[in-house]
Amino acid sequence: MKKQSNIDLPYLGFGLGLRTEHYHPIIETKPKVDWFEVLSENYMVPGGKPLHFLDKVRADYPVVMHGVSLSIGSTTPFDQAYLRDLKKLADRIQPAWISDHLCWTGVHGQNMHDLLPLPYTEETAKHVAERVKIVQDYLGRQILLENVSSYASYVDSTMSEWEFISLIAEKADCLLLLDVNNIYVSSYNHNFDAKTFIDGVPAKRVQQIHLAGHQNNGDYIIDTHDAPVIDPVWDLYEYTIAKLGAVSTMIERDDNMPELDVLVEELEIARKIAQKVHAPNITPVEPISMRVAGHA
Amino acid sequence: MNHLAQLQADFQAYLLDDAQGTSFIEAVVDDKKVGAKKRLSIYHNAYRLRIIEALATAYPKLNALLGDVLFDNIAREYISAYPSTYRNLRWYGNQMREHLLTTLPQHPIAAEMADFEWTLSLAFDAEDVPELTLQDLATIPPENWADLSFTFQPAIKIVRTRWNTIPIWQALEADETPTKPAQESTYQSWLIWRKKFNSQFRLVTEMEVIALNMAMAGATFGEVCESLECEMDEEEAMTTAAQYLATWLQEGMISAVKQK
Repeated sequence: MKKQSNIDLPYLGFGLGLRTEHYHPIIETKPKVDWFEVLSENYMVPGGKPLHFLDKVRADYPVVMHGVSLSIGSTTPFDQAYLRDLKKLADRIQPAWISDHLCWTGVHGQNMHDLLPLPYTEETAKHVAERVKIVQDYLGRQILLENVSSYASYVDSTMSEWEFISLIAEKADCLLLLDVNNIYVSSYNHNFDAKTFIDGVPAKRVQQIHLAGHQNNGDYIIDTHDAPVIDPVWDLYEYTIAKLGAVSTMIERDDNMPELDVLVEELEIARKIAQKVHAPNITPVEPISMRVAGHA
Repeated sequence: MNHLAQLQADFQAYLLDDAQGTSFIEAVVDDKKVGAKKRLSIYHNAYRLRIIEALATAYPKLNALLGDVLFDNIAREYISAYPSTYRNLRWYGNQMREHLLTTLPQHPIAAEMADFEWTLSLAFDAEDVPELTLQDLATIPPENWADLSFTFQPAIKIVRTRWNTIPIWQALEADETPTKPAQESTYQSWLIWRKKFNSQFRLVTEMEVIALNMAMAGATFGEVCESLECEMDEEEAMTTAAQYLATWLQEGMISAVKQK
């Protein structure tokens, strides 16, 4: 595969996840969203409405593909039909890039439908990096790997999550999708400093940022994507883009789905933070306490 | 990769309640903040809740028919009996009909409802094909019609019911209180297809089912007419077959025509 750097990939601005509830308002009102992220598996189907609407949205917006079932960290062979269909979808919609999660979802042909954590070891990093190379060769492009929210860690881990991610990215020459909410969730669940995580990843490889809401159960947090982004995650986002520069950013919402304009409004918060960080002299930005007013 | 492979096999066994997974907890960090048992239980619960939610999405009317408690029990049994091999939970419930035939044999309407809902959902994202119209056929001279055969859209399926499954489905769809489950006097056949992007269904006679099955298997229009002649005279058979064909075309079920 021809080696690339993410300099070749575009900066897309501020996006949202494409969800079925919003198909019609997106197509009819063409909201102020710079791009959409689609869940790959939802469109790896023979035909019908999903692909019809995806084609329509794609005609008006850049799109990136985000998968949940690649199972890059699994120790059993790739599902070849999955890779074939993923490539077929990419050929159809020409996404700006393709991402999945740094995790495993099942072994021996079974799918647990969850983003299960990996032990942070040299051995695992080598294994994952080799598989990333296989996928990148097959797809003919670099892929992005996303850090997941986790609720358990392994006694066998010999390094931090950010060291593990960085090691894989360097070995495989892949890109990263930094989920700032997941960093917050995992830092809460495993008692580490979220900023140390952000400081620890290779800035030049971060191609995309995810933001989302979660559910705090007191002693741990579950990554639920069913609520607005909370202020501490916005603060962490501000820290992240101050550190990494302008990175294409989107909000994920999967449950308790609001109207599209609520999410478009929430996305404005990200735009304002980016403007404050990267062009502070152009437009004044309202204080942080005002950011989630109206939909807290 | 033996170590990682073992860890993943054990974690999966733990999630699936297999005996192999019982000692997996020792692989997980146990700290003062949240114990290893509780940490693992988050994954254990999420696995089931996520799948139950997906099944409830795939089978909303079955869920309404059975009620949440029984549906939840059925779904949990299903999860134990059929571990997922699908990349998308959208496909996971495909054996619910069979599952219900064995787990709820006293309520056969449940399996029928599952069969109907699943088949309807398959039509939703079935392959897109062109739609042949009556105008397309008008260009073919009538004397050649006997030799025509047709290609049908892949979404077409026939579901057979012995209970008042579909009236109950319709009542639930309209947010009305359904009648009580009851057995019908005979089996009924329901044709499922897709018009543009919307799944459709209607009751079909057994004679139309025979004609449709023949036509879908590649029989010519002439052969379909001949088969109907077992039931009626030649002219009536021709008229009936022509009516069927016109209906299938109007309903967007036919994608292509060819002449033998």
